[in-house]
Amino acid sequence: MAAIFFLILRTQVTRGRVLALGAVAAVAVGLAVAIDRSASPFDRAEAAYGLVDNYGLALLVPLTALVFGAAALGDPAEDGTLVYLWHRPVARWKLAASALAGAVAIAVPFAVVPTALAAAVAGGGADLVAGAALASLVAVVAYSTLFMGLGLVVRRALAWGLAYVLIWEGFVARSGTGPARLSVLLYARSILAEVAGHAPPRLGASTSVAIAVPVVLAALALAATAQFLRRIDVR
Amino acid sequence: MTPLAPEQRDAVIEVADVSKWFGAVVALSEVSCRIGPGITALLGPNGAGKSTLLRVLCGLTAPSRGEVRILGRVPRRDVGLARHMGLVPQQEALFDRLTARQFVALAAKLHRVHQPEAAVDSVLGQVALDPRDPRPLRTYSKGMRQRVKVAQALVHEPEVLILDEPLEGLDPRQRLGMINLLRQVAAEGRTVVVASHVLEEVERFGSRVLVIAQGRLAAEGDFRAIRELMDDRPHRLRIRTDRPRPVAAGLISSGAATGAWVQGDDVVVVDTVDVALFRHRLAPVAREQGARLVEVVALDDDLESVFRYLVGRR
Repeated sequence: MAAIFFLILRTQVTRGRVLALGAVAAVAVGLAVAIDRSASPFDRAEAAYGLVDNYGLALLVPLTALVFGAAALGDPAEDGTLVYLWHRPVARWKLAASALAGAVAIAVPFAVVPTALAAAVAGGGADLVAGAALASLVAVVAYSTLFMGLGLVVRRALAWGLAYVLIWEGFVARSGTGPARLSVLLYARSILAEVAGHAPPRLGASTSVAIAVPVVLAALALAATAQFLRRIDVR
Repeated sequence: MTPLAPEQRDAVIEVADVSKWFGAVVALSEVSCRIGPGITALLGPNGAGKSTLLRVLCGLTAPSRGEVRILGRVPRRDVGLARHMGLVPQQEALFDRLTARQFVALAAKLHRVHQPEAAVDSVLGQVALDPRDPRPLRTYSKGMRQRVKVAQALVHEPEVLILDEPLEGLDPRQRLGMINLLRQVAAEGRTVVVASHVLEEVERFGSRVLVIAQGRLAAEGDFRAIRELMDDRPHRLRIRTDRPRPVAAGLISSGAATGAWVQGDDVVVVDTVDVALFRHRLAPVAREQGARLVEVVALDDDLESVFRYLVGRR
């Protein structure tokens, strides 16, 4: 469903979003430049890791995925243009998958590329760059799917998504193993630590689990979104 | 029970005892009808339930009770049925960053139209829009947006075309063009359902009419039959004249009014069941009575009262 994919690219990349998220991404690269210029080699590696972990994965990636994921189907549902996609002979899962592909394709240059670039500029080494790229890519896919469904189901998806990122992942998920299993961030951090050769995060998972669980979560969220599209009242 | 009209026997759309409610609000109540090829107009005041019925027909919302079948298939469950249907929704929203060509091409591609580019050129030409116009849809006037909506609904040549207030925003020339286009589509043996709250619009389609009011099917049939029903209902009119009492008496004695009463010094309000006869006799009566007519106003000629009457008589 290339037509829907390209429609999402055309309609969701607005000037406001480019400026706002471009600025958030630029901050990552700016901080990387500062780390590269100021720290000793040892400190630089740790600081670069911290930048990817605490800014790239914890803020830039979820924020970008939230904005584009929630808008992919949420905007058309809200403004009444969803009918022009829904009332077509297109299977609902294909509609959801195409919109997701569009959202991920937009989020990658705004989140994955700057995170990996920041790791490189800060002098974190090849392993950190690879870890940053893989972890942020897995996270972008998982977050985008979750937030795409959220954008379709609730109004004010941005507020709910921010609450998940800031409150659940920022605080609740750190409190124990159970909540941590529902945190995309912790899986992304586990991937980063493993690939970059860093000590694993507290409550983290093995690499295979850290990749498999977000993928399964994304598949479930996609299936739920398709199901919701079947039952939705379209304006 | 009256025999079914030909278009009803070959029903493309079957609505069986459909009700739809949103919480405590009943939008449709036990609506049943069969619609065949040709133009069928869905006539009713704003908020009568027309758009809800169209949404149910297209599967955009599920009926709370009852069943809808289009071409023998259930629109809410059958995604493939959309291949045979075109929809012009009422809302104005479009993908505003696209051009008309891109917007209609999107529809063509999603419907897997053979040679979509040629189909897009053709259908944009039919609605009098330039396929090469580079301007995005956000710069389009209301009338142009309406025509783009019709183009996207026609590009895959659907067997069933459903339009919600398609003439809204069009100037008189564009209205004529749109009416002719829809007549042409209907003449090809396709089924066209048009919702409108404007009586004169529906009259120009010269179509079969379903009158819907307060969520119920109030009347159905040929437009002329509906028109007669509307004309035959009791009417109330206000006449301003310098001699109200003689005029009132004259109208009653001539049989043009069934009731009359004087208000103030210069107003008489009359009831009549035959507007044509009233029109025919008013001036002679005034002349006989030496009265000067200043104003004649229908007090209940708005659509709402017409629909209320039709609902009340069922």
